Amino acid sequence: MAISGRFVLLALVGLVPVTLFPDWGTVLLVCLILCSVLLLDLSLAANLRKVTLDRALPGNVTLTSSTEAVLTIGNTGSRPLRAFVRDAWQPSAGAQNPRQRMDVPASERRRMKVLLKPARRGDLTSPHVTLRAFGPLRLAARQRTLPCPGSVRVLPPFHSRRHLPSKLRKLRELDGKAAVQIRGAGTEFDSLRDYVRGDDVRSIDWRATARRTAVVVRTWRPERDRRVVIMLDTSRTAAARIDDEPRLDTGIEAALLLAVLAERGGDRVDFFAFDRRTRGRAGSSSKGNLLGQLVQAMAPLDPELIELDWGQVPGQIRQISVHRSLVVLLTPLDSGVPEEGLLPMAAQLAQQHVVVVASVRDPMLGAMQKERTTAAQVFRAAAAERALLEREAVAIQLRHLGVEVVDAEPHQLPPALADAYIRLKAAGRL
Amino acid sequence: MTSVAGSKAQGTPETPHVPGTPQTPPPSEAPRTPETPGRSSARRAALTVTAWIRRHRTWTVLCLISAVGVGLTIAALLSPHGDGFPLSTRNAAPDGARAVAEILRSQGVDVRQTDNFPATMSALDDAAESSADDETGPTLLLYDRNGYLDQEQVQTLQRATDRLVVVTPRLNTLNALGSGIRPAGVVPAGVATLDPGCGMEDPASAGSVTAESGYLYTAPRVCYEPAGGPGGLYAGSEDRRLTVLGSTQILSNDLLDDHGNAALALRTLGASDQLVWYLPDISDVTAADTPQTLDDLAPPWVDFLGLWLAFIAVLAMLWRGRRLGPLVFEPLPVVVKAVETAEGRARLYHDAHAVDRAADNLRAGTLVRLAWLLRLGPEAESTAIVDAAARHVGRTTEETARVLEARPRTESELVRWAQQLETLEKEVTAR
Repeated sequence: MAISGRFVLLALVGLVPVTLFPDWGTVLLVCLILCSVLLLDLSLAANLRKVTLDRALPGNVTLTSSTEAVLTIGNTGSRPLRAFVRDAWQPSAGAQNPRQRMDVPASERRRMKVLLKPARRGDLTSPHVTLRAFGPLRLAARQRTLPCPGSVRVLPPFHSRRHLPSKLRKLRELDGKAAVQIRGAGTEFDSLRDYVRGDDVRSIDWRATARRTAVVVRTWRPERDRRVVIMLDTSRTAAARIDDEPRLDTGIEAALLLAVLAERGGDRVDFFAFDRRTRGRAGSSSKGNLLGQLVQAMAPLDPELIELDWGQVPGQIRQISVHRSLVVLLTPLDSGVPEEGLLPMAAQLAQQHVVVVASVRDPMLGAMQKERTTAAQVFRAAAAERALLEREAVAIQLRHLGVEVVDAEPHQLPPALADAYIRLKAAGRL
Repeated sequence: MTSVAGSKAQGTPETPHVPGTPQTPPPSEAPRTPETPGRSSARRAALTVTAWIRRHRTWTVLCLISAVGVGLTIAALLSPHGDGFPLSTRNAAPDGARAVAEILRSQGVDVRQTDNFPATMSALDDAAESSADDETGPTLLLYDRNGYLDQEQVQTLQRATDRLVVVTPRLNTLNALGSGIRPAGVVPAGVATLDPGCGMEDPASAGSVTAESGYLYTAPRVCYEPAGGPGGLYAGSEDRRLTVLGSTQILSNDLLDDHGNAALALRTLGASDQLVWYLPDISDVTAADTPQTLDDLAPPWVDFLGLWLAFIAVLAMLWRGRRLGPLVFEPLPVVVKAVETAEGRARLYHDAHAVDRAADNLRAGTLVRLAWLLRLGPEAESTAIVDAAARHVGRTTEETARVLEARPRTESELVRWAQQLETLEKEVTAR
């Protein structure tokens, strides 16, 4: 049970008789009156065992938008329900009005709409609903917490979408459809057509020209139907924050942009998140919209505080694609001992696939390395220099193995990775 | 009210556990060991209690600790303990009188210490009853240090006892006693001991006693008179019912074993089987002349007003304090800055004064960047980089090499050198 502010006010009114007739008898009498009013009101409150709850939840919502969660409260009892209801959303769900006054007449149902403005990606839940049913005088209330689990999946925001138009334009420029023809763009022979002024003379097909009276040029188009496999590292290193964003979220942004771009480029995209076991998986092979599947697979991902099992990675990739593919590893370059994990595995993969390692560089290191005013700052600069050199050494070793390395600051990583993809596609290395 | 609200609040999460508790014994055993309903219900109750304790382990432990604490406090309060009053029989300090009280007890004298007037009167009555068959009534020792007792109280005491020993009485007390004993100043300075020099039985057999900081009294019968001074340290009335002792030192723990102090004290106080040791305190002051307090002046409803306001405050706490359902769990992500590792390494360098290592790092970083800026490739030798950089900025090779190959020894040198490196890099970038 609970008492209301009105009851406290009523007790305050009791001050008048108590001060006018200061006697223990008066106190007892006023207490008795208060108690009986309280009990009367409590007994006239609706029975909370005869309340039904029903949720209607929006399935998905993106991080930056807001949504409405609807809770239907049914009163099957005979007394009207005058309730104060709390829908217990977890704080990061950003419920704007989780506590509402709801009046439900007997044998009727009412809807309670809670506006959610989620602050975090993932599955956000509300485990229970608490009802406080007041009596007709609203002096006292019965309170009960009913388990009524509900959850909303908050999808990653895909901020890097703004880079998509420019990258798609670049991709189309590779294609024969565009006005600009670049010699050597792509390796697949597309068609022969008449020479127009401005075409590269090197692309003239003399054999075909000899058969006809007009000059004929060859056109190429970029390769299609290649496979792109994106691996997202969800191990402990993904938990580190760079520029106030976990590495995992930057990786998700980069993977989304690359996946959408590659799909438009006519390639088959597969995504998997991995640390010691697969945390999520999506791909163009299965039915439905690729982007939708990807965000569904990425939404519940969280960094796990364990080490990545590099030994299993080639096997996982082989399960997805046995053919030569573009393998993109979204993993940090400076995680512990790359000599034991990343380097041998990258060497092994590079024999069969085209491997790209995309890593987030910390802009703080660059800032630390430039501040050299006090001794403490110089030592910080030395430590930052050391970290950058180690990264650089790993990157050089990877490049020696024939692996492409994309090392960029958080906001630059998605476009940089997309550029690397376009570059590889243009060079026909897929 | 609080307990009701509290139990209700906890009631909801408890309910799912209650059906689980009777299931704890394996179901197959139930038919094999048929138990009487009383025993099984008792066992079930015990299991429920055990489960409850297990569930609320923290609260149980806290309750046990507080119960033990309260018990210890009560035990400490109830146990006999000393005090710090001068001449108290419970005071073992130098100015206390525990020694003389203990000796008297071991000699069979029943010593009771009181600190207020009613208790003293009842103690005197008790003592008179228990020694009814004896010819001697109880002895009363009165040491009214601050003159709390008024005339009437002193006279009542005098009437109630056959033997009254007053230690260093004030003039008021002596006036109330009214047996011709008058104060006569203090023992002159420099007199350490005094001899009895009189015919009274107790002093005569006790011999000389400590006289320092004692008071003198004139009386019909006086002992321990200092040379030339009027009055003595030990005075008695004509009817032998009143004795005045002019020194607290004689009874104190500190000097009890000096000279004849002990003999005098024991003979004076141990004359009868019962001794009431009365040290009046502030509660004996008659309250007739105390001024009216705020409480007396306030109208009668003020008490009830405060009481009712306190009640309303409690109600308001219950109103605001009742939570609308349990708290919700929020799985928080890890918040670790990736740059922490570099910062940790920097602090290690700093703490270890690793100037050499820091300098090597800075030099390597600069060389790598210069090699990239001057397009020398990653495998370029440092001498080649120095040459190229010198040519690029238009300085001599020695000058550039001095910057790039310097080995700073102290932290201040390191700072200066690190800035030189930066300047060199900036120059190369600018051209």
